[in-house]
Amino acid sequence: MGNKQTIFTDEQLDAYQDCTFFTRKEILRLHGRYHELAPHLVPMDYTNDPDVKIPLALIVNMPELKENPFRNRIVESFSEDGQGNLSFNDFVDMFSVLSEMAPRELKAIFAFKIYDFNVDNYICKEDLEKTLNKLTKEELTPEEVNLVCEKAIEEADLDGDNKLSFADFENMISRAPDFLRPFWTAQLCLTDHMIERDRKVFGSDTATQAADSNVGIRALILLDAEHKMGRQ
Amino acid sequence: MFQNIQVQKEIIANIRTKPWPIRRKLKVLKQAREIVLKYEGRLTRTRGYQAAGADLLKKISRVLYNIVVLFIPWEMRIKKIESHFGSGVASYFIFLRWLFGINIVLTIMTGAFIVLPELLAGPPFGTTRSKTIPKDHLASAQDLDTIWSLGGYLQYSVLFYGYYGNVRKIGSAGYRLPLAYFMVGMAVFAYSFITLLRKMAKNSRMSLSGASDENYTFCWRVFCAWDYLIGNPEAAESKGAAIVNSIRVSISCIQQTQINLSLAVLISLRILANILVLLSLTGSIYIIYFVVDRSQKLEQEKPELTLWEKNEVSVVVSLITMIAPSAFELVAQLEMYHPRTSLRFQLARVLVLYLGNLYSLIIALLDKVNSMSSAVRNLSDSTSYLATISQSTEDNLSTIIPDITERQNSTLTRTLLEMQSLLNQTVLYEYNTRSQQDPCWETYVGQEMLKLSIIDMIFTVASILLIDFIRGLVVRYLSDCCCWDLESNFPEYGEFKIAENVLHLIYNQGMIWMGAFFSPCLPAFNVLKLVGLMYLRSWAVLTCNVPHQQVFRASRSNNFYLTMLLFMLFLCMLPTIFAIVRYRPSQYCGPFSGQEKIYDIISETIANDFPLWFSKVMSYVTSPVVVLPALLLLFMLIYYLQSIARSLKVTNSQLRLQLQTVSYSKLNIIMMYFTHLQAPEGGDKKPEQESDITSMESSARSTSPPRRNGSITNFESPVRHGNSIRTITQSASRPDIPRAAGATQSPTHTYPCHMLHSLISRHSGYLGSTSGSCRSKSYHNMAYKPCTRYAENSDPLFRKTLRPMHTEPAVITAQSYVGHRAHSTRYVIINEHEARKKLMRSNTRIPRHYRLADEPTEIVELYPRNVKCYIPRPPHRSHQPHLSEEEEEEDPKSSTRRGSFRQSKRPRPLSDLHQTAGFYIGDTINSQLSMEQGLYSDEEEGDQEEDWVNDPQTNIRGPESAHRYGEPYVKPKTKHKVEPSLTESDSASLASSSDQQNSSTDQYIQVIHNKKKYLKSNAKLTKTKSKSSVKLNVSGTNDLVCSNV
Repeated sequence: MGNKQTIFTDEQLDAYQDCTFFTRKEILRLHGRYHELAPHLVPMDYTNDPDVKIPLALIVNMPELKENPFRNRIVESFSEDGQGNLSFNDFVDMFSVLSEMAPRELKAIFAFKIYDFNVDNYICKEDLEKTLNKLTKEELTPEEVNLVCEKAIEEADLDGDNKLSFADFENMISRAPDFLRPFWTAQLCLTDHMIERDRKVFGSDTATQAADSNVGIRALILLDAEHKMGRQ
Repeated sequence: MFQNIQVQKEIIANIRTKPWPIRRKLKVLKQAREIVLKYEGRLTRTRGYQAAGADLLKKISRVLYNIVVLFIPWEMRIKKIESHFGSGVASYFIFLRWLFGINIVLTIMTGAFIVLPELLAGPPFGTTRSKTIPKDHLASAQDLDTIWSLGGYLQYSVLFYGYYGNVRKIGSAGYRLPLAYFMVGMAVFAYSFITLLRKMAKNSRMSLSGASDENYTFCWRVFCAWDYLIGNPEAAESKGAAIVNSIRVSISCIQQTQINLSLAVLISLRILANILVLLSLTGSIYIIYFVVDRSQKLEQEKPELTLWEKNEVSVVVSLITMIAPSAFELVAQLEMYHPRTSLRFQLARVLVLYLGNLYSLIIALLDKVNSMSSAVRNLSDSTSYLATISQSTEDNLSTIIPDITERQNSTLTRTLLEMQSLLNQTVLYEYNTRSQQDPCWETYVGQEMLKLSIIDMIFTVASILLIDFIRGLVVRYLSDCCCWDLESNFPEYGEFKIAENVLHLIYNQGMIWMGAFFSPCLPAFNVLKLVGLMYLRSWAVLTCNVPHQQVFRASRSNNFYLTMLLFMLFLCMLPTIFAIVRYRPSQYCGPFSGQEKIYDIISETIANDFPLWFSKVMSYVTSPVVVLPALLLLFMLIYYLQSIARSLKVTNSQLRLQLQTVSYSKLNIIMMYFTHLQAPEGGDKKPEQESDITSMESSARSTSPPRRNGSITNFESPVRHGNSIRTITQSASRPDIPRAAGATQSPTHTYPCHMLHSLISRHSGYLGSTSGSCRSKSYHNMAYKPCTRYAENSDPLFRKTLRPMHTEPAVITAQSYVGHRAHSTRYVIINEHEARKKLMRSNTRIPRHYRLADEPTEIVELYPRNVKCYIPRPPHRSHQPHLSEEEEEEDPKSSTRRGSFRQSKRPRPLSDLHQTAGFYIGDTINSQLSMEQGLYSDEEEGDQEEDWVNDPQTNIRGPESAHRYGEPYVKPKTKHKVEPSLTESDSASLASSSDQQNSSTDQYIQVIHNKKKYLKSNAKLTKTKSKSSVKLNVSGTNDLVCSNV
């Protein structure tokens, strides 16, 4: 990927490292991925902070997001303009939040954003319906969807306004035993050669220590994204 | 200064967890960095070294961590699987890896302490009886089928118990092999127990939060269902199917009308299913027992066994373990439980089956051992017995013969002869067996276990290849030329059944534990097996499996597998321990040969090799006098701990209950308080206000369009002012006057009033009881912390910016202000709601607002800050100038808002105040947050809108929410007239003594809005609940800071 100096200044890298959960290497690889998405748009030289944005359609096709039912929402909610165009900053930010290192609270905030389809700061019934339909690929009948939405709101709505505010959402999410750890941790493959070889294979790099809450068999040693990076 | 730098560093350290847009993060970071850089140098050198040392340490630990991570095997592989199939499948592999780790340790233990010493220092092969192959076996010792059934050379090798010598000390170093053998055998169990329990404890610690009740079934189903790791279309599809499934299931749980069969049929079906399962369980147990028995007989009857006969037992056991689970699955379909229950049943049954298999096997083996050792005993007995018998028969014969008649004689002799031949036969046979197989039952058990393990491995490999791979091939390539869709109908692709596979691993491990004592190399073999399994499985999973449809909620059953493993370990330990305790070790082989019991080695060692006192002590310790009390103590301890755990559980649940009730009662309180407020206030206001104002108010209060103007007018309403002022003056002036000493002048007096008034009006949105205390508190603060900051830097700034604008003397403004006061005091009270929205909206509105508020002579700054932070901090001072400079520099960039300010004749002060205020504001809850805030405010004056929207305080909520709960951040809008005048009058003194706190008479009031975390949610609730009341929105604890400058 070339010399890091040609892409970012040390200062920039440091800043990114402090602002995200990534290491220097990962950031460089992120840039590689970003560049790969739109090679003609994205310059290799980021030292002067070029104002480049990649449209949603390209980002959504990343293997990390391709299968995600909420991919559009994810990208949108991380874009500064709300339209899904991501600058490199937003791009890094997105994967930082999705990485396993990000704390639960942070993730909850963005989860709320993502589920809030109509951006009214509440998860209302329509949002829930959309969520459900995306999740189940519209396999549920409308009645079922309706029922589930009602039930869900009923469960989590503390103030009785028939929609979920962030407080409700956070409250609910914080009790969820398995939220945000395995789930809500998107994996990002920063190894480009791997991607080239097999677009399907991704994963592996940004450590997602997801499984620990699964079987509860945490790997012998906890991994952390950067360290994995170091390994390669 | 140090503090400040600390704070900045904290910002730097924590910035990544802030939910701000990254642009802002970068900015804040830059700012913080600059400050740190700038001032860090001034700190003492040691601090610098400390910091450098800490950095170095961090780096080193990272490197170490890196290295450690390097040694985690198969990480990439697991990640890959995880990304394809989600975390459920990956959990199997992680479990596998964990077991691998355990086995590695076990291997090292046995290898290092038993096998290696024996190989190095023990007598070499062929020197002792237990190490030589009997002559008649030597010929076939190298045959493949002998080797295959672990006979021949393998039998007389370090693989098995029998090979180890019983010499007390071996080698020149005097290694006590028998003792080591025993200790390691026990240590294997001990280590397994300890790691297992530690793991479980860790898990349960990590899943503490997960003890929740099923309150949010649907929410979780919806919001937490997706596994964000999934990247494979097939996995995504099956995950989607699983989600649909689970949602349907919970719907049906609610409706509870899903049973379309009659209850009787269902019950009978289930009974039938259970009977079937029971039958197959007993059947499998019987078969195993039978097979072991048969093999025993076969061995006795036939000198040479075929390959099948040698491996019969393990093959049968493996077959059963393979086939029975599928059979159970079929049976489970009869029952029509819903998937999760049936999965649970399935797991329980399979576990019972595995256990039953292992147990029946080991019992049968031990039975055999029993008969073997009794045979050995008989052998020695029977030879003598035979001798006596034959002698006696001879005697009898000789004595009897004469006495009997011819006829009788003939028959009797015949019978006697028969008897004799029979006896001779048996004797022969027994000699035969003895020479044939050295009766080393430990070796035999170890052989069986190892055989079982091998066969199991073969079967696993075969099943993976056949059931998964071939099937996958067939399904993929034959589906075109078949009349039905192979991929979606009958054969399908093999599913990866996580739970069953994990169970199989557990079973496998159970075998290892069971046999490890008798076959020290079993763990080593298992390591190989696990490695092979890992590769094969992962390959198979990636190539030819689809994820299980009903994904076992592994996360829920966090410790489920481990519990089973523990169970397995315990149960597998029992037979071994039993054998050790109950049976006599073989006479001619093994490290314990010649002893009465295996564990005698310990007492022997203690008696012989330790000093006398030690054995004495030991004898005391092991005497009932000590053991019984110790046992009692243990029981008491267990009871005590258990009761503590119980009480903790109760407290836990109570706390949870409380939390729940709090979250509900919060609501109630807000409601109550809301209604309570509305009544009096509405009454007061309405009569006096003009109709348009009220309408404005209502519009302002109504949720939909939060108009600035509306809110302002609302605040302006004179009546309210009067009321609040009265109350305020009483409470506020008290502390104020004494502190302010002579400095307070008439204008100052009035100021506080207004401030307070505004405050109170804010406070009114607050709970009655709390507001009182808050008020007094805030005043207190006000009094002793007279806004040092303010005085310091605001002055120059004011002078710079304001003077040009306000040419009139202070007195005049003051007077005018006084005159105005009664009716024209304007409050810039921004209730959160409004502020929020307003901030959200365009800048253009703000100017308008300012214009409106122009006349008023008060400055009210409302900050959503904690008062505490206000407490003068030394470091800040140093900053201030710097910051203000920066501000200045940044000024040109500033947004339209600034421009608007200027238009309205109060350009600078606003921003200045703003900034400074921001700075003071230390920590509300998190010092860092507030600091950032401060930073922030300096830094981005122009962007205030954005900033405030994303205000750090709310950042816990996220930028979005920030709009909503946004800060009641009020820009100081209305006050400027007064201010400038004051500054001017005092400027000289201020300039001279910038540091002094009370020096100036100017008064600046900041309302600091203290929002605590919990209140935030409150506020939110309020907002949503009662949109109509502006005050509610302010519900957070508001603290007032009035500062005299």
